[in-house]
Amino acid sequence: MQVEYINPFIESVCSVFSTMLNSEAKRCEVGLVRSASSPRDVTALIGLSGRVRGTVALCLPVSTALAMVNGLLGTDTRVVDDTVADGVAELVNMIAGGAKTKFSGDGTPIDLSLPTVVHGASYAVEYPSGTRWLDVSFTSSLGPFSLRVAFEKTCTPTT
Amino acid sequence: MKALVVDDSVVMRKVLIGALSRAGISDADQAADGKEAVAAVEGTQYDVILMDWNMPNMLGIDAVKAIRANGKTVPIIMCTTEAEKSRVIEALKAGANNYIIKPFEPSVIIAKIEQVLNK
Repeated sequence: MQVEYINPFIESVCSVFSTMLNSEAKRCEVGLVRSASSPRDVTALIGLSGRVRGTVALCLPVSTALAMVNGLLGTDTRVVDDTVADGVAELVNMIAGGAKTKFSGDGTPIDLSLPTVVHGASYAVEYPSGTRWLDVSFTSSLGPFSLRVAFEKTCTPTT
Repeated sequence: MKALVVDDSVVMRKVLIGALSRAGISDADQAADGKEAVAAVEGTQYDVILMDWNMPNMLGIDAVKAIRANGKTVPIIMCTTEAEKSRVIEALKAGANNYIIKPFEPSVIIAKIEQVLNK
């Protein structure tokens, strides 16, 4: 996967932050990872299928997950409960949705799976052998986080 | 004025209900998928429906088709991450009245609701 294919996802992260969270997300480092050796506390995963197949993972410390969902709802939740998991799932849905449009162009739309959220003190996310994930770290007023993307590319972004 | 908010995300339903309230619509029911939405519309007269696309059990697009097949003319606004032109056309052909792409500014929700209610 070439680095330029990450741009639609970066743009989508920034759009979700500015419109839904009234915050600014700033991209930091972009790197390749082979496994989630040190995953964040909360990971939201969503699959893409159709002309592009892959997975998008939004990886968050608990503090960032709480700040994001509290920002969406105007609440002051202090623990990761069902509502926080639901909110994080919706955020990865919007991020993947915004990016997939740029890959679909005027062709057949790419389908999104329903998102899944993993949360815990100790877990590992294992990726298929040989898969390389692009990991993009971000900073924001809501805290740090990262986005990981891996897909089999058969078309390029349209914009 | 009564609205139905259809989304599998409870957080998104709360966000949308907040936006509806700012638009002057404080009476809103909720449905978590298309099936629940079709059943709700059979039993209640709504003035507007906000409908997600990707949901378990029944997709929003299929719920729109079912609601129209049942003869209901309630205005339906799709509110979804599905932003491709072909999706928008598909929804409008199925009977949706307007389309909101997530993520959105709250003001967009208000403007779209006013559009469909003033037609």
